[in-house]
Amino acid sequence: MDFLASTRQAFALLFSGDAELWTIIWISLRVSLLALAIATPPAVVLGYVLAQKRFPGRRVLVVLIQGLLSFPTVVVGLILYILLTRQGPLGSWALLFTQEAMIMGQAVIAFPVLAAFALAAVQGADPRAHETAVSLGASPLRAAMTTLLEVRFAVVAGVFNGFGRVISEVGCAMMVGGNIAGVTRNIPTAIALETSKGDFAQGIALGVVLMLFALGISIALALLQGRGGLK
Amino acid sequence: MSFRHLRKSFGGRKLLDLGPFAIGEGEAYVVTGDNGSGKTTLLRILAGLEPGEIAGFEFQGAALTHGKLPENVRHDIVYVHQHPYLFHTSVAHNIGYGLAARGIDGAERARLVEQAIAWAGVNHLRGVPPTKLSGGEKQRVALARAKVLKPRLFLLDEPTANLDGEARGQAIALIRQLVQDNNSLLIACHDRELIELPGMRHFHLENGKLLEV
Repeated sequence: MDFLASTRQAFALLFSGDAELWTIIWISLRVSLLALAIATPPAVVLGYVLAQKRFPGRRVLVVLIQGLLSFPTVVVGLILYILLTRQGPLGSWALLFTQEAMIMGQAVIAFPVLAAFALAAVQGADPRAHETAVSLGASPLRAAMTTLLEVRFAVVAGVFNGFGRVISEVGCAMMVGGNIAGVTRNIPTAIALETSKGDFAQGIALGVVLMLFALGISIALALLQGRGGLK
Repeated sequence: MSFRHLRKSFGGRKLLDLGPFAIGEGEAYVVTGDNGSGKTTLLRILAGLEPGEIAGFEFQGAALTHGKLPENVRHDIVYVHQHPYLFHTSVAHNIGYGLAARGIDGAERARLVEQAIAWAGVNHLRGVPPTKLSGGEKQRVALARAKVLKPRLFLLDEPTANLDGEARGQAIALIRQLVQDNNSLLIACHDRELIELPGMRHFHLENGKLLEV
């Protein structure tokens, strides 16, 4: 392989507006952003409840969430595949090898990251924030929203980390998406396929896009830190 | 507000074991006591922020269950921390927070916030992020944030602790005004000037008991 030639070709593909390449990028972004949009509200609520309330089974839930942080994405894909396959309990939904299945998988993968960050953020919040809200007459819901707003930078950092995890995961997307061109082929599955075919140019181009996403996340986090949200 | 008995223990050690106590309308009380004597805990229990064992708990003549204060009672009692916490928004938003929680919106809220800002003398701090305010400035914003709600009872925890010079004088001036305006206050503090404010009754907390001085 002529690495330099492949790299030159990769940048040519990126800047020439290659339709196939940009479709892959669009599918990746669409699937990951929708997965985050679905997973974020319940994950933040769970993180808040685990941080603020004491109830039987709380510690088990905390340990479970922490354990799920390192859960292999391919196993999430396997479980989802078994559920969604034609003979599976959710087979009638006919979602296997669709973007919806990938969104479900990525939402499951992002959930523990989002919940763990929200939990840590609320646990790290100044307890006077919630007490002040309550003492000023806020309802439990308003006091919860106020507390979350006070730690919004840390919660948003969790969303960025969740995005970083799902945009680059390949196992689940491959299993439940099927890597169908123009439908479920996203950046990681395309890189895996093109590399196995020996087409390094597209793999490198997509790799550059992934790295640019990672860089974008780092810059966004640094900007958040600069605003005093994270210490 | 009154109670027949208030008890609080920490790990088997009885911190508070108070007999009958009542704060009447328009009365101001200072509670002094050594560090760790339970002054802050007493205020936090009455504010509903900390569990405690209270018998015969009444507010405005209505019997209460501690820990389950009804909304109208929660709205009539405001607790101000020793180091007040200001939300990371703006001075005006902080002062208007409790009004918003009570459903007061729009022009009326803005008018009341303006009045409170003028009362506390914090107009010049309007554009300053709350995190950048000094301890004295935070205390004045917190007092304005409490006063704007016209509570029936102010619970102030060491409002002049860690303040000196002009900042302390400004906080005392605001509290003096609250006392003169016939508000009910229960203040935990050691500040001689606050204790000696006209109309102030002084209680001392020792060995879990409240004794009038």
